Amino acid sequence: MSSDEFDPMIERLFARTPLMADAALFAADVETKLQSSNRVRTVALTVAGLIGGLIAVREAVNLDLRLSDAGAPVAGRAIGQGLQAASLDVQGAIATGLGQFGLSDLSLGSMGGMQLFWLSAGAVIALAAAAVMKLSQEV
Amino acid sequence: MARALKDYHDVELAALAAAGGRREFGELVRRHGSAVRALLRRMGAQGAEADDVAQDAFLQAFEKCAEFRGEGTFAAWVKRIAARLYLKRKARDARYVAELGTEEIAPAIDTPGLVDLDEALKSLNATERLCVSLCHGAGLSHPEIAAAMNLPLGTVKSHVKRGLDKLRARLAPDAGQSGRASHVI
Repeated sequence: MSSDEFDPMIERLFARTPLMADAALFAADVETKLQSSNRVRTVALTVAGLIGGLIAVREAVNLDLRLSDAGAPVAGRAIGQGLQAASLDVQGAIATGLGQFGLSDLSLGSMGGMQLFWLSAGAVIALAAAAVMKLSQEV
Repeated sequence: MARALKDYHDVELAALAAAGGRREFGELVRRHGSAVRALLRRMGAQGAEADDVAQDAFLQAFEKCAEFRGEGTFAAWVKRIAARLYLKRKARDARYVAELGTEEIAPAIDTPGLVDLDEALKSLNATERLCVSLCHGAGLSHPEIAAAMNLPLGTVKSHVKRGLDKLRARLAPDAGQSGRASHVI
């Protein structure tokens, strides 16, 4: 048998593999590992998103945003006023929501408008992180 | 009516797996798991080790599924991943360097003509077996094997040729000597 005949024969022999008796078990093991690695990734991404969101909120709160002060630059003042307006909008939306559930008298404690705004921003960031995580699993 | 997974072509399943389809990838594992595991055994991996590497290869294949374009077969693609993973694992094992090439495997004493490939491979030493399996089982070229094993190209070619000569002697002992390549020393 020449090497021209033998090489294809070897290729065929290598390609021919009988189905192993525990093939289904092996496949199930791989699927289980895939699931567990997916869970680990989900938890890791969620934790990372939450930590990142919290850090972002904390840093933003610590910025000492006195942007609406008279001494602040014009653009800064505009941003500050925008933020205050947004926080009032958020407060209004929350009050409306609570009113729908018959909780219009619920006191939000001593929370200032800005605090409430940043709290809401934190929640939105956490939601966005969760959405990104979900999206990363889909893609 | 929805198609059953077994009706899908490998390329379709790989595309669905690339989009996150774990069930579809599971079907690919069911189809090709045995072939990948068998290749690793032929390369010299022991049972549990072969299965570990095969699992890692499939997990890596799932992560890189989007890179599979269907240019070759899915099985060949995973086999290459598995072969490289096995070589990496072996390279990490310092003892293997000493074992490689010195390990002599006792020749099988089956009736000539009745041996199968797995039995015939036992007549090769570890390096020959690995090189032949990488070349003809995983589809790696000689330069790729040389790079993966950190061996000179000429040495890889010699191992493959010697291994094939031994296999030929066992698998086709009554074949004529006309086209038979001489042993490379």
